[in-house]
Amino acid sequence: MLLHVNTASGVPTYLQIETQVKHYIAAGALVPGDALPSVRKLAADLRISTNTVARAYQDLERDGVLRTVQGGRTYVAENPVSFLKSERVRRLRPYARQIAVEGTQLRLDPHEIMELVQQELDALEEVNERYGDLERKTR
Amino acid sequence: MNDMAIWSEKLVKVYPGVRAVDGLSLNVPRGVAYGFLGRNGAGKTSTIRILLGLARPTEGRATVLGFPVGGEQVAILERTAFVSESKTLYGNLTPRELVRFTRGFYPTWSDQAVTKYSRLFEIPMDRPFSKLSQGNRTKVYLLLALSQGADLLVLDEPGAGLDPVVVDEFLRVLVEDVVGEGRTVFISSHQLSDVEQIADWVGLIDHGRLLLEARLDDIKSQFRWVTVTGNALPQTKSPEVLLVASEGDFRKYLVKKDAEAFAAELSGQGATIAGVSPMGLREIFLALVRKEESCTSGNVGEIAEVISSSVS
Repeated sequence: MLLHVNTASGVPTYLQIETQVKHYIAAGALVPGDALPSVRKLAADLRISTNTVARAYQDLERDGVLRTVQGGRTYVAENPVSFLKSERVRRLRPYARQIAVEGTQLRLDPHEIMELVQQELDALEEVNERYGDLERKTR
Repeated sequence: MNDMAIWSEKLVKVYPGVRAVDGLSLNVPRGVAYGFLGRNGAGKTSTIRILLGLARPTEGRATVLGFPVGGEQVAILERTAFVSESKTLYGNLTPRELVRFTRGFYPTWSDQAVTKYSRLFEIPMDRPFSKLSQGNRTKVYLLLALSQGADLLVLDEPGAGLDPVVVDEFLRVLVEDVVGEGRTVFISSHQLSDVEQIADWVGLIDHGRLLLEARLDDIKSQFRWVTVTGNALPQTKSPEVLLVASEGDFRKYLVKKDAEAFAAELSGQGATIAGVSPMGLREIFLALVRKEESCTSGNVGEIAEVISSSVS
């Protein structure tokens, strides 16, 4: 599995897992139907509590990113974004606010902040295309 | 009776000239990995000795797995595995003989676990205990504890003398075979990094008192240093503020939740917010433990006021 955590950082471990899973899906490295390791397996591999992994999986399931079938296996959901646009905006807003606050505190101009966000979007798209190429080649 | 793995209320232990445990109230939920953290001499081992019935509390009461401490000690000991800080076993017995000696005490004993963990930890099963290295002695303790099939593992400084590879294997075993099975691990340590790795819950103890008890991820998502400058800053008594420190012209508030709202409020009173920053366990530990010392040279600075509290 491609997940890593740094438990010594100030970022909660379950959030690190959630962010990475979302990142891999956004980048196309995980696609709908892909299986994730069981809570116990991932916890053992990362040497973190099973409760922490369970919390991350539950949050991701609640957000419609993952789904757990009977028998306990967890998959990337077929239709990860099934919420109304207004709900998606509501969920993203805290992150937008954080970027605005942190950016201003670091004395960056508004356009510099926007540029950074754009660069990240471009990087995601690039990775996405690369995975797309790989998929096409392997077919 | 309660549903906690470990529960205590205003536990006190007085030894001549010292209050080793000073009004300790613990809540350790079942099925978690709980890190019991404190400096040497903070009262960790004294607390454990009381919980296991090895010492009688001066005041207060406690339960382990729902059984009252001092009342149903056999029930507690049958279901609890303990790895003590001082590794003294019968020196002329080999690990294999120690296993034979120990297994009879525990109805839930597993010989399969003995085979599994003796191989995993590469324990020399036929060498007398007294001839084993410090690391191997620790491994024998862990082997006995894991094979006991206990609902609660109490580990007092378990990492002592173990090399990093064994510590890593051991953490994996704790996660997969203990917490993963819904059992509880209570690790007492001053080694923050190993505990921070696997703990869901932490309790921070100093001078026999609990400074903080909370889910580790909640601490990380909510605890913030709010650094401000300005005149007439409040000596706040807000329950959300754990600690106030002065550093030159700056004042730092350790806020346990709603830090943004707190900063906005100070800002509204004319203060300038220099920063709101998250903190790791290590930083929180140092800040809270150093508060009682004069720390003009430490990174916390002069402490204006201390409000000790636990997160609800």
